[in-house]
Amino acid sequence: MSSIKLPITLIIPAFNEAEHIRSVLDEVVPLVESVIVVDDGSRDGTADISNRTEAVVLRHLVNRGQGAALRTGTDYAVMNDSRIIVHYDADGQFRSADLSRMIEPILKDEADMVFGSRFLDNSTKMPFTKKHFIMPLARFINRIFFGLDMTDPQSGFRAFSYKAVKEINWQQDGMAHCSEILYLAHKNSLRIKEVPITIIYNEYGQRLSGGFKIIKDLFIARLLN
Amino acid sequence: MIQQLLAIFIIIYFISRLTWQYRQQALARSEYRFWMFFWLVALVLVVSLKQIDRLVLSLGFSAPGIAVLTDFAIIILLYFIFRLRLRVAKLERDLTKVVEHLAIKR
Repeated sequence: MSSIKLPITLIIPAFNEAEHIRSVLDEVVPLVESVIVVDDGSRDGTADISNRTEAVVLRHLVNRGQGAALRTGTDYAVMNDSRIIVHYDADGQFRSADLSRMIEPILKDEADMVFGSRFLDNSTKMPFTKKHFIMPLARFINRIFFGLDMTDPQSGFRAFSYKAVKEINWQQDGMAHCSEILYLAHKNSLRIKEVPITIIYNEYGQRLSGGFKIIKDLFIARLLN
Repeated sequence: MIQQLLAIFIIIYFISRLTWQYRQQALARSEYRFWMFFWLVALVLVVSLKQIDRLVLSLGFSAPGIAVLTDFAIIILLYFIFRLRLRVAKLERDLTKVVEHLAIKR
């Protein structure tokens, strides 16, 4: 393992992730400059476990959703002058080996935002229904409603340059933040790149019902704004 | 006729409750005005059911006036639910702002 740390602030939103958070932090803390865990109102000791590591731990008093937790962590990172910010999952599904690939286009000044994609190679063993029904539907909806043409519009593995993070201010507290961030990146004409990543599926993850909730949340947000 | 009297009695009861709550300062003036207007309109509609029947018939509805009123009431209720949903969404957004602020202050 290289002793030079990647110039990244990693934001990890965590809700009741006591089972996985320690192993995730043990893996990523030595690799990157700083790690911010945002405990999103967990009741299983996630924050206490995280506090035993070198990660900075922020706590939401009540559960507000992944989008809100990511915003808290991202705002904190910006306040502390982080130059490259990466969103990372707490459930052990992402591979730390993909981190350097994620930030490479930003370091080379080829992109302002980088999204990990599960569809650029065949390394991810995705559940059949998710791969052939839910994800194509998500791609279709993003193309129709937002004009976005991404291979993986629901990817939670994303890297922001400092410029990108200053320009993107998402409002969605729940899972709809993925679509909103993508939309804002396009709207602000940021340079976007997708890179292949591998996801290890411990569980099914977001279901079709979650997709309908995303559509409903985006619709209500449009009415509110 | 008995149903009409019963409805009038219930509406008058709600109007008196409303006035009592307002006097006890349990209601804001704007809220009091809104609900007073609502119940007075309901009272007028219940008292004028025969005229509404004639109006509804002249407009080409086959249902009696009370049925048309009920349909409109449901539509209005759905609209209020929709408004309430937007209000809840706004409150949730404000709550998130507070939670985030407290988290960052540590």
